[in-house]
Amino acid sequence: MRNLLELREKLKKIYANHEVYILPILKFLLAFLALKMLNSRIGYMGSIDNLGIELIVALTCSFLPTTFIVVFAGLFSLLHMYAISLEVAIVGLGVYMVMFFLFFRFGTKDAIIVLITTILAMMGIPVVMPIVVGLLASPLAAVPVVCGLIVYTMISTISINATTISSMGGDEATAKLRLILDGLIENPGLIVMIASFVITIFIVYFIRRMSVAYSWTIAMVAGAIVNLVILLVGDLMYNINLSLFVIFLSSLLAVAVGKIIEFMCFCVDYSRIETLQFEDEEYYYYVKAIPKMLVAEQDKTVKRINVQRNNVQHKTSEPISHQSRIVSEGKDGAVKRSTTQGNVRQGNVTKNSVTKNSATKNSVTKGSVTIGNERKRTSDSSNDWLDDYEDLERF
Amino acid sequence: MVNGDKVILMTRLASYEKKEGKKYIPVTKFFRSDYLSMQIMKSFLYATLVFGILVGLFVLYDFEIFMEDLYKIDIITLVLNIIKYYITFVVVYCIATYVLFSIRYVKAKKSVKKYYHNLKKLNAMQKK
Repeated sequence: MRNLLELREKLKKIYANHEVYILPILKFLLAFLALKMLNSRIGYMGSIDNLGIELIVALTCSFLPTTFIVVFAGLFSLLHMYAISLEVAIVGLGVYMVMFFLFFRFGTKDAIIVLITTILAMMGIPVVMPIVVGLLASPLAAVPVVCGLIVYTMISTISINATTISSMGGDEATAKLRLILDGLIENPGLIVMIASFVITIFIVYFIRRMSVAYSWTIAMVAGAIVNLVILLVGDLMYNINLSLFVIFLSSLLAVAVGKIIEFMCFCVDYSRIETLQFEDEEYYYYVKAIPKMLVAEQDKTVKRINVQRNNVQHKTSEPISHQSRIVSEGKDGAVKRSTTQGNVRQGNVTKNSVTKNSATKNSVTKGSVTIGNERKRTSDSSNDWLDDYEDLERF
Repeated sequence: MVNGDKVILMTRLASYEKKEGKKYIPVTKFFRSDYLSMQIMKSFLYATLVFGILVGLFVLYDFEIFMEDLYKIDIITLVLNIIKYYITFVVVYCIATYVLFSIRYVKAKKSVKKYYHNLKKLNAMQKK
Protein backbone atom coordinates (compact mmCIF):
# COMPACT_ATOMS: atom_id res chain seq x y z
CA MET A 1 0.00 0.00 0.00
CA ARG A 2 2.83 2.32 0.88
CA ASN A 3 4.35 1.81 -2.56
CA LEU A 4 1.03 2.62 -4.19
CA LEU A 5 0.69 5.77 -2.13
CA GLU A 6 4.20 6.79 -3.06
CA LEU A 7 3.38 6.11 -6.71
CA ARG A 8 0.27 8.28 -6.40
CA GLU A 9 2.30 11.12 -4.93
CA LYS A 10 4.88 10.73 -7.69
CA LEU A 11 2.16 10.80 -10.35
CA LYS A 12 0.65 13.90 -8.79
CA LYS A 13 4.03 15.55 -8.70
CA ILE A 14 4.78 14.62 -12.30
CA TYR A 15 1.40 16.00 -13.37
CA ALA A 16 1.90 19.20 -11.38
CA ASN A 17 5.37 19.73 -12.85
CA HIS A 18 4.52 18.83 -16.44
CA GLU A 19 0.87 19.80 -16.69
CA VAL A 20 1.66 22.09 -19.57
CA TYR A 21 2.76 19.08 -21.68
CA ILE A 22 0.55 16.33 -20.25
CA LEU A 23 -2.76 18.11 -20.82
CA PRO A 24 -2.20 18.78 -24.56
CA ILE A 25 -0.99 15.18 -24.99
CA LEU A 26 -4.17 13.86 -23.34
CA LYS A 27 -6.31 16.17 -25.48
CA PHE A 28 -4.45 15.01 -28.57
CA LEU A 29 -5.00 11.35 -27.69
CA LEU A 30 -8.69 11.88 -26.94
CA ALA A 31 -9.26 13.81 -30.16
CA PHE A 32 -7.33 11.26 -32.20
CA LEU A 33 -9.23 8.35 -30.63
CA ALA A 34 -12.58 10.07 -31.24
CA LEU A 35 -11.81 10.84 -34.89
CA LYS A 36 -10.33 7.39 -35.48
CA MET A 37 -13.44 5.71 -34.06
CA LEU A 38 -15.78 7.93 -36.07
CA ASN A 39 -13.88 7.24 -39.26
CA SER A 40 -13.85 3.52 -38.61
CA ARG A 41 -17.61 3.50 -37.95
CA ILE A 42 -18.99 5.93 -40.49
CA GLY A 43 -16.02 6.93 -42.59
CA TYR A 44 -17.97 7.53 -45.78
CA MET A 45 -16.31 10.79 -46.78
CA GLY A 46 -12.99 9.57 -48.14
CA SER A 47 -11.30 12.98 -48.04
CA ILE A 48 -11.46 13.21 -44.24
CA ASP A 49 -11.04 9.50 -43.56
CA ASN A 50 -7.33 9.97 -43.66
CA LEU A 51 -4.66 9.48 -41.02
CA GLY A 52 -2.96 12.76 -41.90
CA ILE A 53 -6.17 14.77 -41.45
CA GLU A 54 -6.90 12.95 -38.18
CA LEU A 55 -3.45 13.80 -36.87
CA ILE A 56 -3.64 17.43 -37.93
CA VAL A 57 -7.07 17.94 -36.37
CA ALA A 58 -6.05 16.09 -33.19
CA LEU A 59 -2.93 18.25 -32.98
CA THR A 60 -5.04 21.40 -33.41
CA CYS A 61 -7.39 20.19 -30.68
CA SER A 62 -4.49 19.70 -28.29
CA PHE A 63 -3.91 23.47 -28.23
CA LEU A 64 -7.57 24.47 -28.10
CA PRO A 65 -10.06 24.22 -25.21
CA THR A 66 -11.49 20.73 -24.65
CA THR A 67 -14.88 21.69 -26.08
CA PHE A 68 -13.30 21.97 -29.52
CA ILE A 69 -12.67 18.21 -29.56
CA VAL A 70 -16.44 17.78 -29.34
CA VAL A 71 -16.99 20.42 -32.04
CA PHE A 72 -14.53 18.75 -34.43
CA ALA A 73 -15.95 15.29 -33.72
CA GLY A 74 -19.43 16.67 -34.42
CA LEU A 75 -18.27 18.28 -37.68
CA PHE A 76 -16.57 15.07 -38.80
CA SER A 77 -19.68 13.01 -38.09
CA LEU A 78 -21.89 15.52 -39.95
CA LEU A 79 -19.59 15.43 -42.98
CA HIS A 80 -19.69 11.64 -43.04
CA MET A 81 -23.49 11.74 -42.71
CA TYR A 82 -23.62 14.22 -45.59
CA ALA A 83 -21.51 11.83 -47.67
CA ILE A 84 -24.17 9.16 -47.15
CA SER A 85 -27.15 11.41 -47.72
CA LEU A 86 -28.29 14.98 -47.16
CA GLU A 87 -31.34 13.77 -45.21
CA VAL A 88 -29.13 11.88 -42.77
CA ALA A 89 -27.02 15.00 -42.26
CA ILE A 90 -30.21 17.03 -41.59
CA VAL A 91 -31.26 14.58 -38.88
CA GLY A 92 -27.75 14.63 -37.39
CA LEU A 93 -27.67 18.42 -37.41
CA GLY A 94 -31.13 18.56 -35.82
CA VAL A 95 -30.09 16.18 -33.02
CA TYR A 96 -26.86 18.10 -32.37
CA MET A 97 -28.67 21.45 -32.35
CA VAL A 98 -31.26 20.20 -29.87
CA MET A 99 -28.47 19.02 -27.59
CA PHE A 100 -26.50 22.21 -28.00
CA PHE A 101 -29.34 24.61 -27.36
CA LEU A 102 -31.04 22.66 -24.60
CA PHE A 103 -28.21 21.27 -22.55
CA PHE A 104 -24.86 22.80 -23.28
CA ARG A 105 -25.90 26.30 -22.35
CA PHE A 106 -25.89 25.05 -18.74
CA GLY A 107 -22.19 24.28 -19.00
CA THR A 108 -19.93 23.55 -21.93
CA LYS A 109 -17.48 21.54 -19.83
CA ASP A 110 -20.03 18.72 -19.76
CA ALA A 111 -19.70 18.39 -23.53
CA ILE A 112 -16.63 16.22 -23.07
CA ILE A 113 -18.78 13.69 -21.17
CA VAL A 114 -20.89 13.29 -24.32
CA LEU A 115 -17.80 12.49 -26.33
CA ILE A 116 -16.33 10.07 -23.78
CA THR A 117 -19.69 8.26 -23.41
CA THR A 118 -19.91 7.89 -27.19
CA ILE A 119 -16.33 6.57 -27.41
CA LEU A 120 -16.88 4.09 -24.57
CA ALA A 121 -20.15 2.94 -26.14
CA MET A 122 -18.32 2.37 -29.43
CA MET A 123 -15.74 0.32 -27.51
CA GLY A 124 -18.58 -1.73 -26.00
CA ILE A 125 -18.03 -0.58 -22.42
CA PRO A 126 -20.53 2.25 -21.84
CA VAL A 127 -21.35 0.76 -18.41
CA VAL A 128 -18.15 2.34 -17.06
CA MET A 129 -19.53 5.82 -17.62
CA PRO A 130 -22.41 6.02 -15.07
CA ILE A 131 -20.12 4.73 -12.30
CA VAL A 132 -17.37 7.23 -13.12
CA VAL A 133 -19.81 10.12 -13.54
CA GLY A 134 -21.62 9.22 -10.31
CA LEU A 135 -18.30 9.22 -8.45
CA LEU A 136 -16.83 12.37 -9.91
CA ALA A 137 -19.68 14.62 -11.02
CA SER A 138 -23.13 15.74 -9.97
CA PRO A 139 -26.42 14.04 -10.96
CA LEU A 140 -26.83 16.78 -13.56
CA ALA A 141 -24.07 15.07 -15.52
CA ALA A 142 -26.63 12.38 -16.36
CA VAL A 143 -27.82 14.74 -19.14
CA PRO A 144 -24.57 14.64 -21.17
CA VAL A 145 -24.33 10.88 -20.59
CA VAL A 146 -27.82 10.49 -22.09
CA CYS A 147 -26.79 12.75 -24.98
CA GLY A 148 -23.74 10.55 -25.53
CA LEU A 149 -25.93 7.46 -25.70
CA ILE A 150 -28.24 9.18 -28.21
CA VAL A 151 -25.28 10.18 -30.40
CA TYR A 152 -23.89 6.65 -30.24
CA THR A 153 -27.26 5.13 -31.17
CA MET A 154 -27.60 7.56 -34.07
CA ILE A 155 -24.12 6.75 -35.36
CA SER A 156 -24.62 3.01 -35.06
CA THR A 157 -28.05 3.25 -36.77
CA ILE A 158 -26.43 5.16 -39.63
CA SER A 159 -23.57 2.70 -39.77
CA ILE A 160 -25.95 -0.30 -39.92
CA ASN A 161 -28.29 1.26 -42.49
CA ALA A 162 -25.69 3.09 -44.60
CA THR A 163 -25.89 0.65 -47.50
CA THR A 164 -29.70 0.73 -47.55
CA ILE A 165 -29.75 4.55 -47.39
CA SER A 166 -27.16 4.88 -50.16
CA SER A 167 -29.18 2.60 -52.42
CA MET A 168 -32.35 4.65 -51.90
CA GLY A 169 -33.21 7.18 -54.57
CA GLY A 170 -33.68 10.92 -54.16
CA ASP A 171 -37.48 10.51 -54.11
CA GLU A 172 -37.25 8.44 -50.93
CA ALA A 173 -36.05 11.27 -48.73
CA THR A 174 -38.79 10.72 -46.15
CA ALA A 175 -37.98 7.02 -45.93
CA LYS A 176 -34.33 7.85 -45.25
CA LEU A 177 -35.29 10.26 -42.50
CA ARG A 178 -37.69 7.78 -41.02
CA LEU A 179 -35.06 5.05 -41.00
CA ILE A 180 -32.71 7.14 -38.88
CA LEU A 181 -35.37 8.64 -36.61
CA ASP A 182 -36.91 5.20 -36.03
CA GLY A 183 -33.51 4.07 -34.83
CA LEU A 184 -33.71 6.77 -32.18
CA ILE A 185 -37.41 6.89 -31.29
CA GLU A 186 -38.47 3.28 -31.60
CA ASN A 187 -35.44 1.80 -29.97
CA PRO A 188 -36.22 0.06 -26.65
CA GLY A 189 -32.51 -0.70 -26.19
CA LEU A 190 -31.75 3.01 -26.03
CA ILE A 191 -34.56 3.66 -23.56
CA VAL A 192 -33.42 0.80 -21.30
CA MET A 193 -29.83 2.08 -21.41
CA ILE A 194 -30.91 5.65 -20.63
CA ALA A 195 -33.06 4.51 -17.70
CA SER A 196 -30.37 2.25 -16.29
CA PHE A 197 -27.59 4.84 -16.64
CA VAL A 198 -29.60 7.68 -15.10
CA ILE A 199 -30.68 5.54 -12.14
CA THR A 200 -27.11 4.27 -11.68
CA ILE A 201 -25.67 7.79 -11.70
CA PHE A 202 -28.15 8.91 -9.05
CA ILE A 203 -27.52 5.84 -6.87
CA VAL A 204 -23.74 6.12 -7.10
CA TYR A 205 -23.84 9.85 -6.40
CA PHE A 206 -26.11 9.64 -3.38
CA ILE A 207 -24.38 6.64 -1.78
CA ARG A 208 -20.89 8.07 -2.19
CA ARG A 209 -22.06 11.30 -0.51
CA MET A 210 -23.27 9.37 2.56
CA SER A 211 -21.15 9.50 5.69
CA VAL A 212 -20.80 5.74 6.01
CA ALA A 213 -17.46 3.98 5.93
CA TYR A 214 -16.36 2.76 2.50
CA SER A 215 -19.13 4.82 0.90
CA TRP A 216 -17.28 5.09 -2.43
CA THR A 217 -16.78 1.33 -2.69
CA ILE A 218 -20.38 0.63 -1.66
CA ALA A 219 -21.56 3.23 -4.19
CA MET A 220 -19.69 1.76 -7.12
CA VAL A 221 -20.62 -1.85 -6.31
CA ALA A 222 -24.27 -0.95 -5.72
CA GLY A 223 -24.25 1.10 -8.93
CA ALA A 224 -22.77 -1.76 -10.94
CA ILE A 225 -25.32 -4.24 -9.55
CA VAL A 226 -28.30 -1.91 -10.14
CA ASN A 227 -27.09 -1.20 -13.65
CA LEU A 228 -26.68 -4.90 -14.35
CA VAL A 229 -30.13 -5.73 -12.97
CA ILE A 230 -31.91 -2.95 -14.91
CA LEU A 231 -30.18 -3.93 -18.15
CA LEU A 232 -31.09 -7.58 -17.64
CA VAL A 233 -34.69 -6.79 -16.78
CA GLY A 234 -34.85 -4.49 -19.81
CA ASP A 235 -33.41 -7.25 -21.94
CA LEU A 236 -36.06 -9.68 -20.70
CA MET A 237 -38.88 -7.19 -21.21
CA TYR A 238 -37.94 -5.81 -24.61
CA ASN A 239 -35.65 -8.53 -25.96
CA ILE A 240 -32.84 -6.16 -26.83
CA ASN A 241 -30.23 -8.90 -27.23
CA LEU A 242 -27.72 -7.81 -24.65
CA SER A 243 -24.85 -10.15 -23.92
CA LEU A 244 -24.91 -11.09 -20.24
CA PHE A 245 -21.23 -11.96 -20.30
CA VAL A 246 -20.20 -8.61 -21.83
CA ILE A 247 -22.35 -6.64 -19.40
CA PHE A 248 -20.95 -8.58 -16.46
CA LEU A 249 -17.36 -7.99 -17.60
CA SER A 250 -18.11 -4.31 -18.25
CA SER A 251 -19.54 -4.01 -14.75
CA LEU A 252 -16.38 -5.55 -13.29
CA LEU A 253 -14.30 -3.15 -15.35
CA ALA A 254 -16.47 -0.26 -14.13
CA VAL A 255 -15.83 -1.24 -10.50
CA ALA A 256 -12.09 -1.56 -11.21
CA VAL A 257 -12.00 1.89 -12.81
CA GLY A 258 -14.04 3.20 -9.89
CA LYS A 259 -11.49 1.78 -7.43
CA ILE A 260 -8.66 3.51 -9.30
CA ILE A 261 -10.57 6.78 -9.19
CA GLU A 262 -11.25 6.27 -5.49
CA PHE A 263 -7.57 5.66 -4.86
CA MET A 264 -6.59 8.81 -6.71
CA CYS A 265 -9.33 11.13 -5.43
CA PHE A 266 -10.64 9.80 -2.13
CA CYS A 267 -8.00 7.72 -0.42
CA VAL A 268 -8.86 7.69 3.26
CA ASP A 269 -8.01 5.42 6.16
CA TYR A 270 -11.29 4.14 7.56
CA SER A 271 -9.50 2.25 10.33
CA ARG A 272 -8.63 5.57 11.97
CA ILE A 273 -12.05 7.20 11.96
CA GLU A 274 -12.48 9.65 14.79
CA THR A 275 -15.93 10.48 16.07
CA LEU A 276 -15.97 13.71 17.96
CA GLN A 277 -18.66 15.47 19.90
CA PHE A 278 -18.46 19.02 21.18
CA GLU A 279 -20.62 22.07 21.62
CA ASP A 280 -20.63 25.83 21.61
CA GLU A 281 -23.22 28.36 22.73
CA GLU A 282 -25.61 27.59 19.90
CA TYR A 283 -24.97 24.05 18.64
CA TYR A 284 -23.97 20.50 19.47
CA TYR A 285 -21.54 19.10 16.94
CA TYR A 286 -21.23 15.43 16.02
CA VAL A 287 -18.21 15.21 13.79
CA LYS A 288 -16.77 12.23 11.99
CA ALA A 289 -13.20 12.82 10.87
CA ILE A 290 -11.51 10.36 8.51
CA PRO A 291 -7.79 10.85 7.99
CA LYS A 292 -6.51 10.87 4.44
CA MET A 293 -3.87 8.33 3.50
CA LEU A 294 -0.82 10.38 2.78
CA VAL A 295 2.80 9.54 2.49
CA ALA A 296 5.63 11.98 2.07
CA GLU A 297 7.80 11.27 -0.90
CA GLN A 298 11.33 10.41 0.13
CA ASP A 299 13.76 13.15 -0.57
CA LYS A 300 17.44 12.24 -0.80
CA THR A 301 19.79 14.91 0.40
CA VAL A 302 23.51 14.69 0.26
CA LYS A 303 25.09 16.35 3.26
CA ARG A 304 28.27 18.04 2.14
CA ILE A 305 30.83 18.16 4.85
CA ASN A 306 33.84 20.30 4.09
CA VAL A 307 36.74 20.68 6.42
CA GLN A 308 38.07 24.18 6.63
CA ARG A 309 40.65 24.12 9.32
CA ASN A 310 41.53 27.77 8.93
CA ASN A 311 38.12 28.72 10.32
CA VAL A 312 38.50 26.56 13.38
CA GLN A 313 40.10 29.14 15.60
CA HIS A 314 37.26 31.60 15.90
CA LYS A 315 34.60 28.92 15.97
CA THR A 316 35.87 27.13 19.01
CA SER A 317 34.55 29.99 21.05
CA GLU A 318 30.99 29.22 19.96
CA PRO A 319 28.69 27.40 22.39
CA ILE A 320 29.12 23.63 22.48
CA SER A 321 25.39 23.08 22.03
CA HIS A 322 25.82 23.44 18.27
CA GLN A 323 27.65 20.14 18.21
CA SER A 324 24.52 18.13 18.04
CA ARG A 325 22.59 20.20 15.54
CA ILE A 326 22.86 20.89 11.88
CA VAL A 327 20.54 22.46 9.42
CA SER A 328 20.21 20.91 5.99
CA GLU A 329 18.18 21.98 3.06
CA GLY A 330 16.12 19.41 1.13
CA LYS A 331 15.61 19.21 -2.62
CA ASP A 332 12.36 21.03 -2.32
CA GLY A 333 14.02 23.97 -0.63
CA ALA A 334 12.37 23.31 2.72
CA VAL A 335 14.71 23.69 5.60
CA LYS A 336 14.82 20.57 7.71
CA ARG A 337 16.50 20.37 11.06
CA SER A 338 18.19 17.09 11.80
CA THR A 339 20.06 15.86 14.81
CA THR A 340 22.97 13.52 15.16
CA GLN A 341 20.82 11.40 17.44
CA GLY A 342 18.37 10.45 14.69
CA ASN A 343 17.86 7.13 12.95
CA VAL A 344 19.40 5.87 9.73
CA ARG A 345 16.77 4.94 7.14
CA GLN A 346 17.44 3.02 3.93
CA GLY A 347 20.01 4.18 1.39
CA ASN A 348 23.60 3.14 0.81
CA VAL A 349 25.37 3.29 4.10
CA THR A 350 29.09 2.73 3.99
CA LYS A 351 30.69 2.41 7.34
CA ASN A 352 29.93 5.95 8.31
CA SER A 353 26.63 7.51 7.41
CA VAL A 354 24.02 8.72 4.98
CA THR A 355 21.60 11.59 5.00
CA LYS A 356 18.23 10.70 3.59
CA ASN A 357 15.43 13.02 4.56
CA SER A 358 11.83 12.19 4.68
CA ALA A 359 9.19 14.45 6.05
CA THR A 360 8.68 12.24 9.04
CA LYS A 361 12.10 11.08 10.18
CA ASN A 362 15.27 12.76 11.30
CA SER A 363 18.48 12.01 9.55
CA VAL A 364 21.97 11.16 10.57
CA THR A 365 25.09 12.94 9.50
CA LYS A 366 28.35 11.47 10.48
CA GLY A 367 31.64 10.77 8.76
CA SER A 368 31.58 10.05 5.03
CA VAL A 369 28.64 9.86 2.66
CA THR A 370 28.23 7.59 -0.34
CA ILE A 371 25.16 7.98 -2.50
CA GLY A 372 25.49 6.84 -6.08
CA ASN A 373 28.92 7.78 -7.31
CA GLU A 374 29.40 10.63 -4.92
CA ARG A 375 31.76 10.19 -2.01
CA LYS A 376 32.77 12.84 0.48
CA ARG A 377 35.08 12.19 3.39
CA THR A 378 35.65 14.12 6.54
CA SER A 379 39.07 14.24 8.05
CA ASP A 380 38.25 13.29 11.55
CA SER A 381 35.03 12.27 13.19
CA SER A 382 36.02 14.14 16.32
CA ASN A 383 35.75 17.40 14.37
CA ASP A 384 32.18 16.69 13.29
CA TRP A 385 30.65 19.34 15.39
CA LEU A 386 32.91 21.95 13.82
CA ASP A 387 31.89 20.87 10.35
CA ASP A 388 28.27 20.94 11.33
CA TYR A 389 28.67 24.40 12.68
CA GLU A 390 30.31 25.55 9.47
CA ASP A 391 27.26 24.36 7.61
CA LEU A 392 25.07 26.30 9.94
CA GLU A 393 27.17 29.39 9.38
CA ARG A 394 27.06 28.93 5.61
CA PHE A 395 23.32 28.52 5.70
CA MET B 1 12.40 41.91 0.15
CA VAL B 2 9.89 39.48 -1.28
CA ASN B 3 6.91 39.09 1.00
CA GLY B 4 6.08 35.37 0.96
CA ASP B 5 2.53 35.75 2.29
CA LYS B 6 1.78 38.41 -0.29
CA VAL B 7 3.11 36.28 -3.11
CA ILE B 8 1.01 33.31 -1.96
CA LEU B 9 -2.11 35.47 -1.75
CA MET B 10 -1.50 37.05 -5.15
CA THR B 11 -0.92 33.62 -6.70
CA ARG B 12 -4.18 32.37 -5.23
CA LEU B 13 -6.04 35.40 -6.54
CA ALA B 14 -4.51 35.08 -10.00
CA SER B 15 -5.33 31.37 -10.07
CA TYR B 16 -8.93 32.09 -9.06
CA GLU B 17 -9.28 34.78 -11.73
CA LYS B 18 -7.97 32.35 -14.33
CA LYS B 19 -10.16 29.39 -13.37
CA GLU B 20 -13.35 29.70 -11.32
CA GLY B 21 -13.35 33.47 -11.42
CA LYS B 22 -13.84 33.49 -15.18
CA LYS B 23 -17.19 31.83 -14.64
CA TYR B 24 -18.27 33.39 -11.37
CA ILE B 25 -17.07 37.02 -11.40
CA PRO B 26 -19.25 38.09 -14.38
CA VAL B 27 -22.30 36.46 -12.71
CA THR B 28 -21.99 38.58 -9.57
CA LYS B 29 -21.97 41.82 -11.55
CA PHE B 30 -25.74 41.40 -11.93
CA PHE B 31 -28.50 41.58 -9.38
CA ARG B 32 -30.06 38.18 -8.85
CA SER B 33 -33.35 39.16 -10.49
CA ASP B 34 -31.61 40.68 -13.53
CA TYR B 35 -29.37 37.67 -13.92
CA LEU B 36 -32.22 35.19 -13.69
CA SER B 37 -34.48 37.16 -16.06
CA MET B 38 -31.68 37.33 -18.60
CA GLN B 39 -31.09 33.60 -18.40
CA ILE B 40 -34.81 32.82 -18.61
CA MET B 41 -35.13 35.02 -21.69
CA LYS B 42 -32.22 33.22 -23.30
CA SER B 43 -33.81 29.89 -22.38
CA PHE B 44 -37.10 31.02 -23.88
CA LEU B 45 -35.37 31.77 -27.18
CA TYR B 46 -33.43 28.50 -27.16
CA ALA B 47 -36.52 26.49 -26.23
CA THR B 48 -38.46 28.12 -29.09
CA LEU B 49 -35.68 27.27 -31.51
CA VAL B 50 -35.44 23.67 -30.29
CA PHE B 51 -39.20 23.25 -30.43
CA GLY B 52 -39.11 24.50 -34.02
CA ILE B 53 -36.43 21.93 -34.87
CA LEU B 54 -38.41 19.15 -33.21
CA VAL B 55 -41.63 20.11 -35.02
CA GLY B 56 -39.65 20.28 -38.27
CA LEU B 57 -38.21 16.79 -37.71
CA PHE B 58 -41.67 15.51 -36.78
CA VAL B 59 -43.20 16.93 -39.96
CA LEU B 60 -40.39 15.48 -42.07
CA TYR B 61 -40.80 12.11 -40.35
CA ASP B 62 -44.49 11.95 -41.24
CA PHE B 63 -44.24 14.17 -44.31
CA GLU B 64 -46.12 11.89 -46.72
CA ILE B 65 -48.96 11.19 -44.29
CA PHE B 66 -49.03 14.85 -43.37
CA MET B 67 -49.34 15.93 -47.00
CA GLU B 68 -51.98 13.30 -47.74
CA ASP B 69 -54.11 14.26 -44.76
CA LEU B 70 -53.48 17.99 -45.02
CA TYR B 71 -57.00 18.74 -46.21
CA LYS B 72 -58.64 16.33 -43.76
CA ILE B 73 -56.83 17.67 -40.70
CA ASP B 74 -58.58 20.09 -38.38
CA ILE B 75 -55.96 22.83 -38.64
CA ILE B 76 -57.24 24.77 -35.62
CA THR B 77 -57.03 21.73 -33.35
CA LEU B 78 -53.57 20.92 -34.71
CA VAL B 79 -52.31 24.47 -34.13
CA LEU B 80 -53.86 24.52 -30.63
CA ASN B 81 -52.17 21.21 -29.83
CA ILE B 82 -48.83 22.50 -31.08
CA ILE B 83 -49.24 25.66 -28.98
CA LYS B 84 -50.14 23.54 -25.95
CA TYR B 85 -47.01 21.42 -26.36
CA TYR B 86 -44.91 24.49 -27.03
CA ILE B 87 -46.07 26.24 -23.86
CA THR B 88 -45.52 23.10 -21.75
CA PHE B 89 -42.05 22.63 -23.22
CA VAL B 90 -41.02 26.25 -22.74
CA VAL B 91 -42.41 26.46 -19.19
CA VAL B 92 -40.65 23.26 -18.08
CA TYR B 93 -37.39 24.40 -19.64
CA CYS B 94 -37.65 27.87 -18.09
CA ILE B 95 -38.38 26.38 -14.64
CA ALA B 96 -35.30 24.15 -14.98
CA THR B 97 -33.29 27.22 -16.01
CA TYR B 98 -34.59 29.20 -13.03
CA VAL B 99 -33.63 26.46 -10.55
CA LEU B 100 -30.21 25.77 -12.03
CA PHE B 101 -29.19 29.37 -12.47
CA SER B 102 -30.44 30.29 -8.98
CA ILE B 103 -28.11 27.64 -7.55
CA ARG B 104 -25.32 28.89 -9.76
CA TYR B 105 -25.88 32.50 -8.65
CA VAL B 106 -25.69 31.57 -4.96
CA LYS B 107 -22.54 29.53 -5.61
CA ALA B 108 -20.97 32.40 -7.53
CA LYS B 109 -21.78 34.90 -4.76
CA LYS B 110 -20.18 32.69 -2.12
CA SER B 111 -17.13 32.01 -4.23
CA VAL B 112 -16.58 35.66 -5.20
CA LYS B 113 -17.06 36.76 -1.58
CA LYS B 114 -13.97 34.75 -0.65
CA TYR B 115 -12.14 36.31 -3.56
CA TYR B 116 -13.00 39.84 -2.46
CA HIS B 117 -12.00 38.99 1.10
CA ASN B 118 -8.58 37.94 -0.16
CA LEU B 119 -8.37 41.11 -2.27
CA LYS B 120 -9.01 43.19 0.84
CA LYS B 121 -6.31 41.25 2.66
CA LEU B 122 -3.89 42.00 -0.15
CA ASN B 123 -4.85 45.65 -0.10
CA ALA B 124 -4.18 45.80 3.63
CA MET B 125 -0.78 44.14 3.09
CA GLN B 126 0.16 46.70 0.48
CA LYS B 127 -0.77 49.60 2.74
CA LYS B 128 1.61 48.34 5.44
